[in-house]
Amino acid sequence: MRRCATCAVDVEGDWRTCPLCGETMEGEPTPDPYPTIALEYSRKVVFRLLFAASAVVILGSLGVQLLFGAGEHGIGVWRTVWLSVVAMWMVVGTAVRKRRNLAKTVVYLVILVGLLCAYWDYLAGWDGWALSYAVPATCGGAILALLLTVRIVRIEVGEHIVHTGLAVLLGLAPLVFLGLGWVREPLPSVACGVLSLLALALLVFTRGAEVRHELGKRLHL
Amino acid sequence: MTRRAWVRLDNASNIFLAAWTDADPKVFRITAEVDDDIDPALLQQALDATFDRYPLYHAVLRRGIFWYYLQDSDLRPTVTPDLRHTCAPLHHPDRKELLFRVVHHHRRISLEVFHALSDGTGALWFLTDLLTAYLALRHPEGRTAAPGQTEDTAAEAPAGTRSPADPPGQAGDQDSSGAPGSPVSPGPSVAPDPALDADPAVDPDPLEGAHPLGLTPDSFVHYFHRTPPPERLGRRVGDISAHGADEPVSRRPGLVALRRVHRVTGTRTPDDRPRLIELSMPAPQVLALAKPHGVPVTLFLTALFFEAVRESSGGLGKSQTIAASVPVNLRQFFPSLSPRNFFATVRVAHTYGRGDDDLGGICRDLAAQFLPETTPEALEAKLRRFLRFERSPLLRIVPRPLKDLLLRLINRANNRGLTVAVSNLGRVVLPEPAEARVRRMLFHVSAVRPQFCSMTHDGVMTISFTSPFQEADHVRAFTRMLTEQGVDVTVAAARVTEQEIEDSPAGVGA
Repeated sequence: MRRCATCAVDVEGDWRTCPLCGETMEGEPTPDPYPTIALEYSRKVVFRLLFAASAVVILGSLGVQLLFGAGEHGIGVWRTVWLSVVAMWMVVGTAVRKRRNLAKTVVYLVILVGLLCAYWDYLAGWDGWALSYAVPATCGGAILALLLTVRIVRIEVGEHIVHTGLAVLLGLAPLVFLGLGWVREPLPSVACGVLSLLALALLVFTRGAEVRHELGKRLHL
Repeated sequence: MTRRAWVRLDNASNIFLAAWTDADPKVFRITAEVDDDIDPALLQQALDATFDRYPLYHAVLRRGIFWYYLQDSDLRPTVTPDLRHTCAPLHHPDRKELLFRVVHHHRRISLEVFHALSDGTGALWFLTDLLTAYLALRHPEGRTAAPGQTEDTAAEAPAGTRSPADPPGQAGDQDSSGAPGSPVSPGPSVAPDPALDADPAVDPDPLEGAHPLGLTPDSFVHYFHRTPPPERLGRRVGDISAHGADEPVSRRPGLVALRRVHRVTGTRTPDDRPRLIELSMPAPQVLALAKPHGVPVTLFLTALFFEAVRESSGGLGKSQTIAASVPVNLRQFFPSLSPRNFFATVRVAHTYGRGDDDLGGICRDLAAQFLPETTPEALEAKLRRFLRFERSPLLRIVPRPLKDLLLRLINRANNRGLTVAVSNLGRVVLPEPAEARVRRMLFHVSAVRPQFCSMTHDGVMTISFTSPFQEADHVRAFTRMLTEQGVDVTVAAARVTEQEIEDSPAGVGA
């Protein structure tokens, strides 16, 4: 074993200099009790910075839109291109960030896309297309996608049931908008509402016990 | 239909999730060095058998709206070579993964555990069962001949039992043998801890089977929530054997040190791996040094640590107070074989320039603070107070992210009142055949501040220093204080800086 005369200690492993004082040591090396591990630089920090920067750019882009007027006299087609890019960026970013939980990702996306469409509609002069078409289409699509995906990917019931439930409840929102008279064309909202009610009935009658068990766990006080 | 067992996270564990960072992922490692190189295939077999008996170790961590909870999973652990730096993160939010790992390198088997799952004592039980199973496979010829092996050894426990039927004897603070009956050294007897011994006269596990879902229950709630105090062991001070330094159970949340304490600073390690330096030495030599001071060996080592920090800092500067967090294993007072966290911490401090500043004076100062805090009555009062706070209706309805924020703030305030942390698992006696085949045992923990963890086995005391900083001046000062007094110290260290890694003659991975 090597020995540091300055510290008066024996040193295990193959250190040429004393790990305590840095002085050169004498003696024969022994097997190192710890392997030499290369430095690992985590990409987590880079991702975190990228996501934070993306959030700033997206929120900034959305905020700046308020400075331009609505309709043809505003920035017209440029707004459409700009917001499309922002929306795409936001969707991809959210999907990447929440990639480990499919059901949660879908719920996040429904909320974000719904809000973005409503805001876009507002910027463009409140034509009503967001609440009439975009939101029901997003919610209905999400419910169908979730019900199919959890079967195809075979996600355990407990893993997705809460978020599937949330997606189904969000699907009832278009019916509320319809009741409040915010919707220009009722058919998509009615279709989405009916789909949600059917999905809700399916959940309650076939998975009621799991839903209660899972909610009891997640809401445990 | 799968309805998985789940259990709410215990009291002490919540802080580990709130205080978890990249630099301090709240992971600790317990290592056993056996007498020949590890056979990975046999170790895997032993791990499979041990894992089946510990439902707690099957758990993954999930997030509820109000609390974290542990949930049973189908994941199986795999033994791996020691490929990552020590105490690498075990918990990643949104990922379902086991909260422990078993690694091996040359003659060492190491168990790394995320602290929210278990404490040092709980993990030691698992490692003991693993070692017993592995060594029985590795040396089948010695199985029948091994002395002391009984039918109820952990390796032969019937499938489905949760905890080791024959947990390792932890004889606690070794210096108890030094001054038995001395008023300043009322440490535990060297005899095995009755709380851990499988003595049929003592109810071995008042919590056994209490949870219908298989995951072991929370001993904090069992003992300190509303119910009248169950019968406990009436010993005064025992081993200091759990560890971790950030738990809020040490005092009223939010209460911070009134006096500004010295805090060690330095250059952070390049990739947040802990600076780890292990000292091994003959235990009798250290006990002989501690004996004249008449305090438990943990407090003697703590006093030495304070001196090392003072010396390496060049006199401490403006803040002349050094404070340490010392965890206390609650199982010795409140019998429990639950491997989940069950410990409290006590803060001790010494201010230089206000009286007796030699080593003996610091030892006496620390003992005067530590011993009254570690009576069963004092601990119970403290923990009941904390549980009342945690279980108050107002706090219960606070959503988990806000609770995390609150705990993080409390933790940060507590950190400001601490210079170092120390932890001693005491003297460990393993069941045969492990006892005969295991040489040194070591343990250390990822650290947000300089810390040492100590344990003793087979007459060798190991003191493992960890720190988030590259500098190791305090370890050098500590070591020299020991060697100057005639202690034979052997040093082992993990390579941390780029220079050290480049200098490794064996190269990366070896």
